[in-house]
Amino acid sequence: MLQFDFFTWLAGIPDWIYGIIQWLFSIVSGIFYWIWGIIEYLWATVFLPANFFFLFRAILFPGLVFVILALIWAVWFTRKLWGRIQDRRGPVHLGKYGGLQLFADAIKLISKETIIPDNAKRWMFRLLPGLLLVVVLLPFAFIPWDTVSAVNGGWAIADLSVSLVLVFAFLTAVPVISLLAGWVSGSKYTLIGGFRAANNQFAAEIPMIISTVGAVFLARSLSLFDIAMAQTNVWFAILLPINLATFLLAAIASVGIFPFDAPVADSEIIFGWRTEYTGIHFTLTYFAEFAEQMLYSALIVALFLGGPNGLPFLPGPVNFIIKFLIVFFFFVLVSSSFQRLRQDQIVHYCWKYLLPLAMLNIIIVMLAVVYLPGLILPLLGVG
Amino acid sequence: MSPDILEDAMELWFGPQHVSAHGWAAKLTLVGDYVVECDPNAGYFHRSAEKVLEFKNFRQGALVLERMCMLEAFLAEYPYVAAVEKLAEIEVPERAKIMRTIMMELSRLHSVQFWWGQFNAELGFFTMALWPWVDREYTLDAFEELTGSRHTVSYASPGGVKYDFTDKVLTQINRAVNRFEDRLPKFRDMQMGSPTFRARTKDIGLYDVKQGLKWGLSGPPIKACGVPMDLRKDDPDPNLAYDMVDWEVPIIENSEHPGQSDALDRMEQRFKEAEVAVEIIKQLLPQLPDSGPIINPKARGKANRLPEGEAYGRVEGARGITTLWLKTQEKAQTAYRAKIRGPCIASYYALKDLVPGAKFADFIVIFGSLDPYPGWWDR
Repeated sequence: MLQFDFFTWLAGIPDWIYGIIQWLFSIVSGIFYWIWGIIEYLWATVFLPANFFFLFRAILFPGLVFVILALIWAVWFTRKLWGRIQDRRGPVHLGKYGGLQLFADAIKLISKETIIPDNAKRWMFRLLPGLLLVVVLLPFAFIPWDTVSAVNGGWAIADLSVSLVLVFAFLTAVPVISLLAGWVSGSKYTLIGGFRAANNQFAAEIPMIISTVGAVFLARSLSLFDIAMAQTNVWFAILLPINLATFLLAAIASVGIFPFDAPVADSEIIFGWRTEYTGIHFTLTYFAEFAEQMLYSALIVALFLGGPNGLPFLPGPVNFIIKFLIVFFFFVLVSSSFQRLRQDQIVHYCWKYLLPLAMLNIIIVMLAVVYLPGLILPLLGVG
Repeated sequence: MSPDILEDAMELWFGPQHVSAHGWAAKLTLVGDYVVECDPNAGYFHRSAEKVLEFKNFRQGALVLERMCMLEAFLAEYPYVAAVEKLAEIEVPERAKIMRTIMMELSRLHSVQFWWGQFNAELGFFTMALWPWVDREYTLDAFEELTGSRHTVSYASPGGVKYDFTDKVLTQINRAVNRFEDRLPKFRDMQMGSPTFRARTKDIGLYDVKQGLKWGLSGPPIKACGVPMDLRKDDPDPNLAYDMVDWEVPIIENSEHPGQSDALDRMEQRFKEAEVAVEIIKQLLPQLPDSGPIINPKARGKANRLPEGEAYGRVEGARGITTLWLKTQEKAQTAYRAKIRGPCIASYYALKDLVPGAKFADFIVIFGSLDPYPGWWDR
């Protein structure tokens, strides 16, 4: 019969305690080795040459950090150029030629109090500026910075067979965010500004997308990289000059800088949909505007100015950036030398002039490709 | 306006904290993009100048008035001096007359330069806002050299002027005038030839002379309709030297809409005003005697205590007719009552009839083209 033997039970206690300790240890060590394995895996993955290079591209050079620094430079450049055009000096005090002014401004803006109006929908009001900047920065991943494709270890970050469509898909979110921001700010001026921004984008986006059809059609691809590489022999600016002009104008209208800045017309609706944003929120929306300008400059270079193709003795990214600077200079030049148009005039202008012109160039090239294939096709860098 | 339109109307206060509305507020009723009702409000810039004038003696009063409108400071202070001179029957030396007239036209030039930049800023053309303001600096330098102050010159005094023209002042005036003459044709071409500018201003804020006179407009907004209504010709002040020069009243005769003026005409009109001002200065400078008194030596004693009476001083300002009515009591050191009638009270309340039917974006263009300054209606 089973009899409870006290002494046997007493002798078993150390084993029992030992078992508990072992059990606890196995749990802790299991968790530890599990995490350690993840770290090891990540470490190995990151420092695998291909992966490390990819991360370097995505985060450092043509990626996030480079784009943010370029953004800061773009703001400085715009202010300096505006100053020179307007018979004044622009920023001069901080750093060489006022180069550090923007860092000072950013620090000032970030450290300011963030005021959220009572009427605002708080969560949306906080979320939208950041979302806007993210949406505008994401398409930079598909810019063809180099003549060597991403899979072959070039400086481009990513390549996708439909990257052009994806870029426009991201950019379509911008007016929605502007309209929402105007709506949730709870002010009449921001609401008017939001509707104007949406109106502006709807006016400009159709001619802009139609302008890209010509390049897509000649390169026979929707990938930005393929479009850029189709221009090794001749830039599309020569084959599609009208499309370049319409795309440039529609891009300026879409960003909403000076001749088309009715969405943020300061003398009419204070600061449009950005009126209620202060501090860091304002900084984000302000940077998003410049990021959008830069994105459109990069798209123009990729679609019409040969992308990374250019001087053969220079590396691809350098070629790209030189052309990028020239296009950005045009943005600033145009924005500083024109009068603001009224909202109905913008729509009238975009739909009655830009849209037919954009289509005209495509039709001309289509006819040339069909009826004079020997003239056009050998120029293209595609089989 | 049927009531069902007003059902989805939005009421919008334009001011007083609006960027463009510095010291005024208008309640706009918007239907879609159109303004259907405009209710201009006064009272955001009130500084009780008329009451203050009752406590200032007759040499101090002009200082209060020039703070009414800093942009045409000398033109604003002159009506007070003119009224005091009329009451005390003070003669003004020849030299002072010419100096006053030159200063008056310089003030008009400065006002046009400032308005030009401001109007462009309101239209959203910041580059063209700053270019005229660079030229304006030269005009301000001349003021500073002459009086030590850039805006509030307080130059006229009953019986003459306060400071003499030195060689340096003459150089500065010449420089300012030449700079303006040099740059105006280029800028005018840029501005008037720009299709975007014409698209924004043509047929905007159109009214005819009858309406303008009914509202009580004067100065450039009326002259732009083609009516040569100018106090400098119509009622020449004996203490100013406008009869010594040969000049024509600047008017716009637009063949497209005769007897009417839009924002573009009013812009052109102000350019012409400035041109005529420069012409008058250029003709007067050689006629300035080399020496002589700049102030009547008896004026100080006479202006100390005025006899009982009323006088009405007025001048053709840069924005229209600026008047001041002064009533004094026997042997009093201060005025019994002073009443200021600025030119802009008419142009501000003209918005009530002028704006409805315009697009919301054109509201500020109409406002800017009439150039009302809040100091003139709040006093």
